[in-house]
Amino acid sequence: MKKRLQILLWISCLCITSVAYAQNLTIKGRVTSENEAIPGVNVVLKGTTTGTSTDMDGNYSLTVPDGNGTLIFTYIGYTPEEVPINNRTTLDVSLVQDIQTLSEVVVVGYGTQSRQSLVGSVASIKAEELRTQGVNTIQKSLQGRVAGVNIESSGGSPGSGVRILVRGTGSFNNNDPLYIVDGVQVTNINNLSPSDIASIDILKDASAAAIYGSRAANGVVLITTKTGTKGEPRIDFNVYAGLQSVTKKIDVLNASEWARVSNAAHDAAGLPRLDIAQNPESLGEGTDWQSEIYQVAPTQSYELGVSGGGDNFTYSLSGGYFDQNGIVRKTDYNRLNLRLKTDFTKGRLKIGESVILTRENWRNMAGGWGGQGGNPVGSATKMIPVFQVYDANALGGFSGASGPVVNVANPVAQLYLEDPTVNTNTVMANIFAELTLIDNLKYKYNVGYTNTFGYNYTYTAPYQVGALFQNLNSDLSESRNQTSFFLQEHTLAYDKAFGRHNFQALAGFGLQKNTFRSLNGSRSGMPGGLQVLDAGTTNIASGGLARENVLESYFGRFVYSYDQRYLLTANFRRDGSSRFGRAYRYGNFPSLALGWNLSNEAFYEPFRSYVSQLKLRASYGLLGNQEFDDYQYVASIPGNLNYVIGRDQQLWVGAIQQAFADPNLKWEESESINVGADLGFFNNRLSLIADYFIRKNSDLLLRVPLPLSTGSTVNPVVNAGQITNRGVELALSYNQEINDFSYQLTGTFTAIRNKVDQLGSGSQQISGGQPTHHGSSATITMAGQPVGTFYLIKTDGIFNDTDEVTAHSKEGKLIQPNAQPGDIRFVDANNDGIISEDDRVNVGNPNPDFSYGFGGNARWRDFDLSVFFQGTHGNKIYNGLRQDLEGMTLEFNYGKSTLNAWTPENPTDFPRAVINDPNYNSRTSDRFLESGSYLRLRTLQVGYTLPKALLERVKITSCRVYLGFDNLFTLTKYNGYNPDLGRYSGGTSQGIFDRGVDFGHVSYPLARTSMLGLQLSL
Amino acid sequence: MKKYIIISLITLSLAGCKKELEVVNPNVITTETFWKNDADFQSALAATYKVFRDVNNGYWGVRGVELTNGRGDDFFIRNDVQALYQLSTFTNTPSTGTPSSIFQGAYTGIFRANQIIENAQTAPISEESKKQYTAEAQFIRALNYFHLAINFGNVPIITTVPTDKSQYFQPSSPEAQVWQQIISDFTAAKEGLPESYDEKWVGRATKGAAIGYLGKAYLYNERWADAENEFKLLMSAPFQYDLRPNFADNFRPEFDNNEESVFEIQLQNVGGVQPWAGENANEALGVTTAQEFAPTEVAGWFEVSPTDTMFVEFEKEKTITGDYDPRMYASIVWDYPGAMYYNRPFKEFKLVFGYQSMIRKYQNWWNDNEQPNGNYISEINEKAMRFADVLLMYAEALTMQGKVVEATAPVNRVRDRANLAELPATYSQDEMMAEIRHQRMIELFREGHRFYDLKRWGLLEQEIKNSDKVGREFFDPARHAYFPIPQNELNTNPNIEQNPGW
Repeated sequence: MKKRLQILLWISCLCITSVAYAQNLTIKGRVTSENEAIPGVNVVLKGTTTGTSTDMDGNYSLTVPDGNGTLIFTYIGYTPEEVPINNRTTLDVSLVQDIQTLSEVVVVGYGTQSRQSLVGSVASIKAEELRTQGVNTIQKSLQGRVAGVNIESSGGSPGSGVRILVRGTGSFNNNDPLYIVDGVQVTNINNLSPSDIASIDILKDASAAAIYGSRAANGVVLITTKTGTKGEPRIDFNVYAGLQSVTKKIDVLNASEWARVSNAAHDAAGLPRLDIAQNPESLGEGTDWQSEIYQVAPTQSYELGVSGGGDNFTYSLSGGYFDQNGIVRKTDYNRLNLRLKTDFTKGRLKIGESVILTRENWRNMAGGWGGQGGNPVGSATKMIPVFQVYDANALGGFSGASGPVVNVANPVAQLYLEDPTVNTNTVMANIFAELTLIDNLKYKYNVGYTNTFGYNYTYTAPYQVGALFQNLNSDLSESRNQTSFFLQEHTLAYDKAFGRHNFQALAGFGLQKNTFRSLNGSRSGMPGGLQVLDAGTTNIASGGLARENVLESYFGRFVYSYDQRYLLTANFRRDGSSRFGRAYRYGNFPSLALGWNLSNEAFYEPFRSYVSQLKLRASYGLLGNQEFDDYQYVASIPGNLNYVIGRDQQLWVGAIQQAFADPNLKWEESESINVGADLGFFNNRLSLIADYFIRKNSDLLLRVPLPLSTGSTVNPVVNAGQITNRGVELALSYNQEINDFSYQLTGTFTAIRNKVDQLGSGSQQISGGQPTHHGSSATITMAGQPVGTFYLIKTDGIFNDTDEVTAHSKEGKLIQPNAQPGDIRFVDANNDGIISEDDRVNVGNPNPDFSYGFGGNARWRDFDLSVFFQGTHGNKIYNGLRQDLEGMTLEFNYGKSTLNAWTPENPTDFPRAVINDPNYNSRTSDRFLESGSYLRLRTLQVGYTLPKALLERVKITSCRVYLGFDNLFTLTKYNGYNPDLGRYSGGTSQGIFDRGVDFGHVSYPLARTSMLGLQLSL
Repeated sequence: MKKYIIISLITLSLAGCKKELEVVNPNVITTETFWKNDADFQSALAATYKVFRDVNNGYWGVRGVELTNGRGDDFFIRNDVQALYQLSTFTNTPSTGTPSSIFQGAYTGIFRANQIIENAQTAPISEESKKQYTAEAQFIRALNYFHLAINFGNVPIITTVPTDKSQYFQPSSPEAQVWQQIISDFTAAKEGLPESYDEKWVGRATKGAAIGYLGKAYLYNERWADAENEFKLLMSAPFQYDLRPNFADNFRPEFDNNEESVFEIQLQNVGGVQPWAGENANEALGVTTAQEFAPTEVAGWFEVSPTDTMFVEFEKEKTITGDYDPRMYASIVWDYPGAMYYNRPFKEFKLVFGYQSMIRKYQNWWNDNEQPNGNYISEINEKAMRFADVLLMYAEALTMQGKVVEATAPVNRVRDRANLAELPATYSQDEMMAEIRHQRMIELFREGHRFYDLKRWGLLEQEIKNSDKVGREFFDPARHAYFPIPQNELNTNPNIEQNPGW
């Protein structure tokens, strides 16, 4: 890989060679880096046009007029060297790799390009920046590091996914970017070990991504795993161990406080008090349910790898084990990885492969038990503290709620009695054969295959938990599913340079088939703790389904540059997808990008001292999106809509059309314009990449919520709308070295404006985000506003007396007839004399005004420090958990703040306690909308590298120990667990319309992690 | 060389791939291959009837039963499921979930019935079959519109399957037009349906059911003479309807589809095992209502209770032997000597809401709990229309025309079965109406009629305010006589308007 890349660059540099004049002195030498030859290095006599470049072995020969000049050695990806000749005839030079972004090589689809010649918008992250921070997935470590890419981690659930948005919400369907690992599409990258990754390249604009056509509208994330390099085997061993703890708990009432509030609420409604609340003083603290479910949880990771290569081959082999216990008891995650990547060259033929095997195991948090507490985290806040955790005499061993209270389950019982386990085995393989047909023309055949075997197992032990939860028979359900991608690609690549012209052309054909098949079964009544289906006696059920889709693609790319000054990249892709009807099956996706390296112009010389590098870029392109469900263009007749019939009451099998289908479904299109500049200052010590983009997604594929009156039970997919995202992205980095001290500062800034231009029939609105178990939605998505904008009834303080209630009237009629002193005054926004959902107004949206990340790495002698902050500003969050806990309408526990509820003696700004809530104080309103801005110290790491002299004696190449912390603190005014919501639901539209709604009953709080690690190389 | 390779690759792939992109859904059949024979129509009918028992959206699923009964002066719903508490205490809003579900369920039934009616016209099936399926679908459609009319008033009338996106957004029609549609459909169903079915098809809508509901529709429109004419048809041959001698039999699974049944919802544990699975093979084909209403002592969820207003009504008249009305024993349980409930003395149960009784009707109270199958479902068919109801509606239609003496006989049939003294033939119209109102309240408790009867009689406000129902102080007749058009409909349908009062 690296070699191919070098050849490519070598070719691209030929154009700068020029002719020598006089014959006075001939200098010869070899240019190397870490003892390896570098071909294609540009060697120029300073202040002249005299120059050459190195050959395949890194050798050069240059004739200069005399022995007094200075030679400049430049090569992309390396720091330029200036060496005075001093009358020497042999000058061997060693170049140092330069990690600055402006001179790096980036991976683009089906190839690589130098940052210099790149005109699309591509963000690149190298392995060093990913140095594992104890975070278990790669995406989490990307948070805040890439401009224009928003990463929302959904809390601390071990092994959980995250939401990645490249340049804003562009679709109502899947907003996940396309993930390509070593050339193969995968559905997610959670299972990769961060230390296996050499680089992550994120293609953001249409020019960069268009080569992936139909699947690229949400951006493309290209992951390249580590490759071996020629030389002696290198062995790496990394290990760390850490502890995690919950960052935040919710302040709720203790037993006697709860009883006081509950009694007040019942008294105010004129309803009898609950028996269990009769004597508040005698109840004391009661059970602290949150303390019962959280734990300090260990995490550990081990990775061992070996890599190297010979003249005709390279190899890289690694394996790892990662184990993480959850901060919620009984939850955990572990992962085993094995990876092999090799390539072999013989003559014109090169064959290679990359194989990744992973096995992941989750013990998930138990789900809700059909009650209203939600998952154990939700139940722990709502469970009344009067109840006990354990009851040795009860079936299953747990106590729980009883009496006329809301059926919230004992969260500890949920965690212990239900065992939801998931295993996933993933095979990811890519094998290629590359044949050099003639010089500069290569044919490559590529087979990619991923297969994910999923296994779900949920066992529920028999129990009687309090009076409200009973499950006398044990339950077991198991399911297996298999998802596979099979991809074949043929590509022809042609590279040619003559004079100052440099061409790269690529043409290809690909066929990809995705299949899914699942099987499930469940039974109840396994005796004596048996946990296999055959032991079950009742509730026998089984099922299964299958899906398949095919994508056929033709693609091409043409890259041209002249003299490293004028750059052009054109892409074209034509995709055919089985997801569309015959007439709309194919889509064409072209793009064009132009760039101008101003700093390479002769006239630029005077400006170089101010701005050492300057490149302008502009691109335009069209991308497609087909990420919605299969088979949507034809209406189906689902079976098993069954009824009962006959004197002896038999099963009557039913089938009918449940939903509508649009046979004219067509491609969702994403049109994007990008202008950008790459700047370098102070000899490129400071670099800035700036981009402005407009991304317009039209013919959005959308499951339009139909009126209930259509009778459709499933919403049909139609092309129904347009969204525009406009944004500015800045990525800044600064490097400085002062004697023993070196440091690098980086920062990213992203501001994106999201707007729905058009939706459905025009006045179409999509409601989303029902924040509590019951209740109305918090967001509306409609034309003219961002996706998922909060539309809420506004509150206007508290009625302090009956006069104020009376005063709040229209034409002599009370606007809130059920209100009493202590109730909330709502704003009758439409002035119709009543408070209804029609009074909802725009009160903000879940998109931040801007998000940012900043941090630095510093090194002093053998010590190093890295620190990284990240945050958002200006976004709103609807706190659904607070709505539950502060409502005082239902018989469960309440938030601490309810102690401050309004009473005539203590007229506060917190509404009165009244259990039947006739004024709907607890309704969905702006009372529960909060600022979501935050600043988080994401990582802090201090390392020490043992002195080389010491290590050489024990034959160790390098050894570093470090101490690291994740999520040390978060500065925010948000009251919920975590302002960084990102409830991820696996690439569905779920969660797009309620992106800013915090569903307290399904969350998993964030963990703070401290860890100690060791990195060893032999 | 390059050209050849590209060309050959592309031609190869083109040849191979046109077919590759033709991927059919392996899980279901499509509209193109359906509606071809009797079996297709029969399965479509099953899928249309079934909505009535849907756990969330069905009129006789648990939420439907809670919605129809929950607002009566005879019923209390506890503060657990917020939507139910709100609607039962008259603090519901357009966003309250349950009315929205019932609204959706009715239209799901209508959409499916419309498919059957339309496709029957063109399908290659016999004329006899066409007539049968059309009439059956019209019955189901009319019944769904009936539920919409009495609960929501003005609603969209949709009688065709939309062929274009623009037809998804229909405006409301006035309630009077909805009634015209109901009467027209029931009339057509009456003509097209058979008087009875083979044993294997018992449970489908019959001519008698269509007549009963047509009469009921007339009754709700105070077309007394029309109503009388329909109900009268059911009193004699060819119809064989009669009261079950033992009232309580109607609420035991072994007496499903008995002689008193005019139309009932078929429930049995013969499908899947999961009550909340949604519409698929795992969906249980019973209802969870009994589990939800059972007391906590037997692991029920005690969502409802009879009010003491209801209790007092039951106590009003003793039998000729001086005992409580047998319908009181069959409908509720309270602390009387020897009272047993779920095979335990009633004394072991705690009355937690301050009312004196618990519900017995439609509970499987002879078992130890409501989970004999381990999955919360009850197999007692929900009686949509019983002959006792027909008799009382018949009597009402007569009485309202001044034919009080003629009304005495049907009322007495109901009273006789309850072992009450015969009514004298001397009642005034008002006295007879008062008797019919009393009889309907105790005969049909928990069968979803009380609130709608009170509305017909113009007594909603009076009876609710005079009761001990929680939330009675929030009752506003201008608002709560109907549910508002659900917010989910308003959010998605730009052509619909909210009902007056909301």
